[in-house]
Amino acid sequence: MQAEEYSLIEQCRNGNSEAYSVLVERYQEMIYNVAYRMLGDRDTAYDISQESFISAYDGLKRFRSDSKFSTWLYSITVNKCRDYLRCRKPDVPLDEVTEILPSKMPDPEDSLHQKQLGQTLQAAIGALPEDYREVIVLKHVEGLDYKEMESILGVSANTLKVRTYRAREMLRKVLLEAGVSNG
Amino acid sequence: MDKERQLIHELLDGELSPEERRDLLDRVNSDPLLKQEFDDLRSVVNMVETAERLTVPPAFTSQVMRRLPAPKVSFWKRVSSFFFGQRVLRWNMVTALATVGLMIIITAGLFQLRNKDTVISYQRPADGAARTVAISFYAPQARKVSLAGDFNKWSTEKGLMKKESSGIWTLEVPLQPGTYHYMFVVDGNVWVTDPNAESYRDDGFGNKNSVLRVSL
Repeated sequence: MQAEEYSLIEQCRNGNSEAYSVLVERYQEMIYNVAYRMLGDRDTAYDISQESFISAYDGLKRFRSDSKFSTWLYSITVNKCRDYLRCRKPDVPLDEVTEILPSKMPDPEDSLHQKQLGQTLQAAIGALPEDYREVIVLKHVEGLDYKEMESILGVSANTLKVRTYRAREMLRKVLLEAGVSNG
Repeated sequence: MDKERQLIHELLDGELSPEERRDLLDRVNSDPLLKQEFDDLRSVVNMVETAERLTVPPAFTSQVMRRLPAPKVSFWKRVSSFFFGQRVLRWNMVTALATVGLMIIITAGLFQLRNKDTVISYQRPADGAARTVAISFYAPQARKVSLAGDFNKWSTEKGLMKKESSGIWTLEVPLQPGTYHYMFVVDGNVWVTDPNAESYRDDGFGNKNSVLRVSL
């Protein structure tokens, strides 16, 4: 996989942009979901994902072959999300988030239950501070290890561990207040 | 964050050895408050990890590809591609017929221009080129008349003139600019001076040669 990707990247660098479509196909789902979890909106996630792939293509000459393409792509996407969030209106303070969340979760038998649970979860992730949201998304949505997260975020693995622990605690608190009970 | 809670997070990350894990779970199970926290955290992690993933809209890749910047091509590559690159010519019958018609008009025009050139050069020869001089002589009774002069070494045969119905004999002679002497030879042996010559000169035999000047 790694060698094949380097070959594709080399082809892109030599002006064969069609080779890039293979990489976009391969990673679009991953990048789109990261952007969605970071931003909480499908349309914005779509735009940011598009821009991430275009920026990655522009910067292929700077891509170092000692790292994974996916790691590099994650890093670009996280930065795009940060830039977007910085320009957007300030985040809602955490203690006000539970007012936005549904006050009581519906009956699990309800057909809408799963959908609403998903919305509640996304609202809770969106309520986390940006750096906590990043670690939750990379660690638990994408299932990455701390070493890879270190490469993406440029922060030491130990710092990221502590940040993840705190982010989980905060998420637990927000979800409990939203009425999402254990199980 | 106390030691117990840190261990719970390490357990959630799968970083504890089996023994450490067993010890921790024993302690957690004996403390209802800790157990609740542990269950909640495990539930939160499970919720995030099993959350539904979005499907990417189908046009995503093609849209990225359309938005990619055009590849930067070096100047020489562009020049080379301009001259040697393959091209596809799109055509229809009307365009083709119009093109053929235009080519015919241009070709015909060029031919005409060339013929005109010939006429012009004929009328205005370049310096040093021969002029064609038409010389005529009235002799309705003569059977044969030739033009003899220093331009054809006084030959009585080379400059045979042509008789026209009015009795006028004519000949066109190509001559370089200069002064020439000539006479008409009637019926092969009678030498006659041109009565219409511009001037005359003694020939040394008691006759007068006609003089012709061809100017530039």
